[in-house]
Amino acid sequence: MFDRIFPAFSVVVVWSVVGLLWGEGVRAVAQEVGLPAPRLLTLMPMGGEVGSEFEVAITGDYIDAEQQQLVFSNPKLSARAKTGADGKRVANQYIVTIAADAPTGLHEARMVTRLGVSASRAFVVGTHAEVLRKKPNTTMETALSLPVNSVCSASVTAKSVDYFRFEATKGQRFVIDCSASKIDSKLTPVVIVADAKGAELIANRTGGSVEFTAPADGAYFVKVHGLTFQGGAEHFYRLALLEAVAGQSVGEQPAVRTVSSVSWNGVTGLSKEAKSFHAASHDEKRPAPVSVSLPCRIEGRFFPAARVDTYEFEAKKGEVWWVEVASERLGYATDAFLVVQRRVQENAGDKWVDVVEMNDIPSPMKPSTNGYSYDGPPYDAGSADPHGKIEVKEDGLYRLQIRDLFGGTKANAKHVYTMVIRQAAPDYALVAWGLHMTLRNGDRNALSKPMALRAGATMAMEVVVVRKDGFSGEVELSVEGLPEGVSAEGLKIPAGKSRGMILLSAREDAKPGLSSAKFSGKATINGASVVRPCAVASMAWPVKDSTQEIPKPRLVADAPVSVTSAELAPVTLIPTEKKVLEVVQGEKLTVPLKVTWRSEFSGTSLKLKTMGDGFDSAKEIDVPLKAEQTDAVLDLAALKTVPGEYTIAFYGPGVVKYRDNPDAVKAAEEDQKKAQLEAASASETAKKLAAEMSQAPVDKKEAVAQAVREAAEKQKAAETAKLEAEKRMKAVSDKAAPKDTADIVVSEPIRLIVKAAEKK
Amino acid sequence: MSAVRTNDFAFGSLRVDCGAGEGTELLRSGLRFVLCVLSLWIGTGNALGAGDGEGSVNFVNDIQPILTKASCNSGGCHAKAGVGQRGFRLSVLGFEPEEDYEHIVKEGKGRRVFPAAPEQSLLVLKAANIVPHGGGRKIELGSDEYRVLTRWIGEGMPYGKPTDPKVTSLEVQPGRVALKPGVHQQLKVLAHYSDGSVRDVTRTALYEANEKSMAETTEEGLVGIRDLPGNVAVMVRYSGLVSVCSISIPLGAPVEKHPPVKNFIDELVFANLKRIGIPPSELCDDATFLRRASLDIAGHLPTVEEARTFLESKDANKRDLLVEALLSSSGYADYFAGKWTMLLHNKRDAADDITANFAFHSWVRDNLRSNTPYDQMARELLAASGRILANPSVAWYKRVKEPQQQVEDVAQLFLGVRMQCAQCHHHPFERWSQRDYYGFAAFFSQVGRKPTGTPGEDVIFHKRGIAQSENKKTKLPVKPAVLGGASLEISPDDDPRLFLADWLSDSTNPFFAKALVNRYWKHFFKRGLIDPEDDIRDSNPATNPELLEALAAQFIQGGFDLKSVVRVITQSSVYQLSSVPNEYNGVDRQNFSHYYPKHLTAEVLLDSIDQFTGSPTNFSDLPAGTRAISLPDNSYNKTATFLKVFGRPEGASVCECERVQAASLSQSLHLMNAADLKAKLTAAQGRVDRLAKSTEVDSEKIRELYLASFSRQPTADELQTAEAFLGRTVLDDKGDRLDPQKARREALEDLLWALMNAKEFLYNH
Repeated sequence: MFDRIFPAFSVVVVWSVVGLLWGEGVRAVAQEVGLPAPRLLTLMPMGGEVGSEFEVAITGDYIDAEQQQLVFSNPKLSARAKTGADGKRVANQYIVTIAADAPTGLHEARMVTRLGVSASRAFVVGTHAEVLRKKPNTTMETALSLPVNSVCSASVTAKSVDYFRFEATKGQRFVIDCSASKIDSKLTPVVIVADAKGAELIANRTGGSVEFTAPADGAYFVKVHGLTFQGGAEHFYRLALLEAVAGQSVGEQPAVRTVSSVSWNGVTGLSKEAKSFHAASHDEKRPAPVSVSLPCRIEGRFFPAARVDTYEFEAKKGEVWWVEVASERLGYATDAFLVVQRRVQENAGDKWVDVVEMNDIPSPMKPSTNGYSYDGPPYDAGSADPHGKIEVKEDGLYRLQIRDLFGGTKANAKHVYTMVIRQAAPDYALVAWGLHMTLRNGDRNALSKPMALRAGATMAMEVVVVRKDGFSGEVELSVEGLPEGVSAEGLKIPAGKSRGMILLSAREDAKPGLSSAKFSGKATINGASVVRPCAVASMAWPVKDSTQEIPKPRLVADAPVSVTSAELAPVTLIPTEKKVLEVVQGEKLTVPLKVTWRSEFSGTSLKLKTMGDGFDSAKEIDVPLKAEQTDAVLDLAALKTVPGEYTIAFYGPGVVKYRDNPDAVKAAEEDQKKAQLEAASASETAKKLAAEMSQAPVDKKEAVAQAVREAAEKQKAAETAKLEAEKRMKAVSDKAAPKDTADIVVSEPIRLIVKAAEKK
Repeated sequence: MSAVRTNDFAFGSLRVDCGAGEGTELLRSGLRFVLCVLSLWIGTGNALGAGDGEGSVNFVNDIQPILTKASCNSGGCHAKAGVGQRGFRLSVLGFEPEEDYEHIVKEGKGRRVFPAAPEQSLLVLKAANIVPHGGGRKIELGSDEYRVLTRWIGEGMPYGKPTDPKVTSLEVQPGRVALKPGVHQQLKVLAHYSDGSVRDVTRTALYEANEKSMAETTEEGLVGIRDLPGNVAVMVRYSGLVSVCSISIPLGAPVEKHPPVKNFIDELVFANLKRIGIPPSELCDDATFLRRASLDIAGHLPTVEEARTFLESKDANKRDLLVEALLSSSGYADYFAGKWTMLLHNKRDAADDITANFAFHSWVRDNLRSNTPYDQMARELLAASGRILANPSVAWYKRVKEPQQQVEDVAQLFLGVRMQCAQCHHHPFERWSQRDYYGFAAFFSQVGRKPTGTPGEDVIFHKRGIAQSENKKTKLPVKPAVLGGASLEISPDDDPRLFLADWLSDSTNPFFAKALVNRYWKHFFKRGLIDPEDDIRDSNPATNPELLEALAAQFIQGGFDLKSVVRVITQSSVYQLSSVPNEYNGVDRQNFSHYYPKHLTAEVLLDSIDQFTGSPTNFSDLPAGTRAISLPDNSYNKTATFLKVFGRPEGASVCECERVQAASLSQSLHLMNAADLKAKLTAAQGRVDRLAKSTEVDSEKIRELYLASFSRQPTADELQTAEAFLGRTVLDDKGDRLDPQKARREALEDLLWALMNAKEFLYNH
């Protein structure tokens, strides 16, 4: 009946209801990704001069103002909280001291918070005078005067241009360098030098520096803006205005290390008889070949454009030479490529026959495409630099040509390369990063997590190896220098494989702690034990939506690990018995697990995969929610596990109803009650005095009136305090309300020995 | 190769003068036409040389031309791509005779031909529409074509022998001729064969004029001249070859004087005008030149101050100085960067395209600002390698991913040659074959790609290897070859794109410089010397070939200096001619006897309105004050409706024709009524707001408005009318006098609105 009378209305109602339900549904499924982790996001300024003391303001995620401390990766840098005139600490502000003997370059700055150590931010120590932009300088009229040979810290405002002014005399040369992505900034800077009227003279829009010679005496402007005019506190930069004195080179500002650089630690593996050579002079595209003898080290430059350097050498049948080039790993935008050819003498003349081409060092794991779905780690430990071997099949003259595949039309005289030709010197390099998996499509937030463990938690670090000169052995992984209550277990990188894992586990009763850990690997090469450090990589920024922002990976200078007891892991999975399990090859292995649930989880069970050499394809195990014990069963026959020692762990996604600092609610509640009582009391007093006022004798009227005024003021102050307490209570309660949060659940490692089956 | 020959036949007996000066008499013209056709028939005899009784019929020489003339193998009929028509498929315009022969003779168990009774062949029955035919009757019963076709079937459908003569060239007579308006000219077409024989193929050739407003053609090759003076070319096609009859149509008016000759452009244009009898207009006044040059070079209106300064200047050289100042301004780089980036597909498809697009736009703009030689820019674009942020020209390879599109875009943009057809078949109007297409494509065959962290964005590099592409049809490898050149042997170590770039810079390159100067000529004159500007071919000749050659030579000799092209054009007297025609030259559309007024483009018009009203448009995520001509990509067309309505391109095509320059009703309505434009008139801090609050006398305000909109002072009449309008008493709905302040503000708004909607504002003239 209703819909016959109001057909359109009924449709509207139906759709409204559907809309409401859908809205609820969306809210119900909306998830956070990654349990809260402290992150230091910005510092202002983000560097300072050696031997100075200055104020630094910080921003970050999950850094409680009351319980934080700013720390650095080098002990020559220190910070103390800034205090106001009232002696109280000023939130998020510090006094940083850089010792006079502090090393220049980049350091890591971090916060230590209630939840542990934060993700880091680059911090520069330099030798130039520092300037801090304090007022907006987005017009020529408000341009900030910049002394020559100074560095200014600032951030760009969205849709604006920052102006700096400097004076120059005719012929004076400058290097104007804007450091942004080199120090983790989201800014892609455009630097323009303009004349006194603001007209553009020279610009750099590709992130490099500008070399400028003043055409006349007078004032000049430097304009800085984002390539796409985005801005904000996260788009920070350090602008250096340096005079270039003839005969002296002006170095660029320091940069964070790329993940690819992990496999280059300078020239290694050369025997004593190795000689050094240089490329031919750099005024030709194709200079005549340079004769070299092997082994050797060669230095060259990809300049001018389309440059091809050729080296010739004699080689004997049966020799094997390994070639390694470093250029991209030195920080240059190059893509070196080389080809080795053998001379074949024919009647018609010499002919050069290809022996081998060498291209990029491949990434040990397929890197992420940064698409909607997570399809691999967005860390590429490979490089555009070539590495490979020459197998000499015949005696003769060989030639090696090297060129930059990016240098056909463009060239930069700074783009140098170092090439090593050596006998096999098997070696390896390691790099670790936080394990990630699909938690919510597009979300890469969890990738920038620090190694800040909650008591009872296990965190997995994915480790890859870059193998050199034919090294193919297994690599044991280990960590030293962990805080009390935290242990580490390495799941080795098997022979011939690229990937292993390090598990960091905090005991349930671990006390808060922080220490600088050392990750390393150990392998046997030519019968000797070779230990190599394992670098740690992280993301500069938490990325909530990969379609809007591409993750920015880099190496971090050190590896601090912390544990907190302020919050415990939502769930802990540990083997029921702390012992090495033994199982016979081909049989089923049952791993009894003790499960400690500390938070509510969504769904009915945790579905966990297995990690460990050869166990990746094991069938998923099911851990029913709230079950205190469970048995994980692995079919070794299906896995075809061969006898040996193994370390495995179970891991998978879980959605926990996370409450952020619920303890703070109790404190806020008490504060609120107290404030409410005080307000009520003040109100009562004021009312009482007001009543007395009408009956007060004339001679006391003034005194009562004064008391009424004072009471009214107290009442007002009490009301304000009450409102603030209520506001705080609401904020704290909102934060503490349960939120669905997806994260990776990892069990403690389990050791096992697979024995050979008895032969029948 | 096409064969364009000139001969003494130009004023031969076949020309029929219909008497241009005697008025148009349809009946008489019709009669003369019939006579003309009759005389043709008698004069040329049987155009189908292999008609009755002579030797055997050859499929390629005799049958294919019949099918082509009858449109059987046109793209809309049996040569429809991939499918043909109702199961019967022919190659486009018969460029694949062997395939066509197979389809006609052997396909369907030979059901299309019946040698025992050729007239009963399906091919014949359909062509003559005896059996119902979707294409109707294509061949008349008993016609020569009918007889040749049936004879060929009757003889057992011979394909012909390898030793049979082949057509080697085509000759049209006359090759070059001057004709008065209203005249008809019969063309004669001769096919020259490899055995030295010549055959009259007038009946089977195809005819098409490049300017249909100037000349019309019949199927029989009769050309009718319309009443527009200038140069027109009639393209003649036969058996895959093309020839052209160039016709000059003089107006015949006396050309007694012309403005001073400042450079070679003036010499060559005035010489042409003299030859065809079109007197040029006078030079335009200073105000017009200032406005014209500012809009054309820097994409913006002169400010009031600029207009005053220029008009008051007594410097005899002030026009040249203005051109120099405009070329040094940021407006020049902005305006031309907008033009180039649209052609180079700088379009935003996804949010994360923004960085690549801004980087690429900046790269183009910076190069234009610093006047990087054009060949160097082309080189850096074509042979770009690396990552976009480090080398922004790589962004072109993000937008143009397929080698096929790379070939076609480079050919069309940098060479003015349309190669699209040649991918599948010989270009019907041109010399370009599939060999040319795939030879050109081979330059791009070694473009390597590696993924980056940004989805859809690759690192570009030269992939070592032998450069060659695969002919889609034959599956055979094709080595790199420049257009019209021999195959190149390029070492696998070398990036073939650098060889292509070298060829572009080569002073003997017949296309590269011409394409650019012609494109820029069109930018300033509305019409290219060759038009469309990116369709340079023998069958579409320049209206003033000597001028095109001279411009190209100057460009090459000057080191491919783009600003120099702009300078030589805008400093010429020809560019500075008035747009007001004299008593003769109003009909001229291609000889540049006067300036042809142009619509302001979407971006320039919006900027002009912003500047005139003093109310800038804000574009999302860009600093306040950013002009529309500075927008780096197409994404702003979505938010700024004005730009879309006025035809700003989306960067989807390499053709400038993507920009819609025709006026439309929606544009008129937008200018008159759109809320955003009304808001500009009434904006706080806008020009009306300032003038309404100003204590200046009305005449000064009016002068400012005229200078701001038209770059000139108002005439006495205009001033008087406007003063009266501003000072008039206005009554409200109730008949009460409106508050004078309010009335004045509204009157100023109305005056601005009226000026903004005037053609003098909307056009560059």
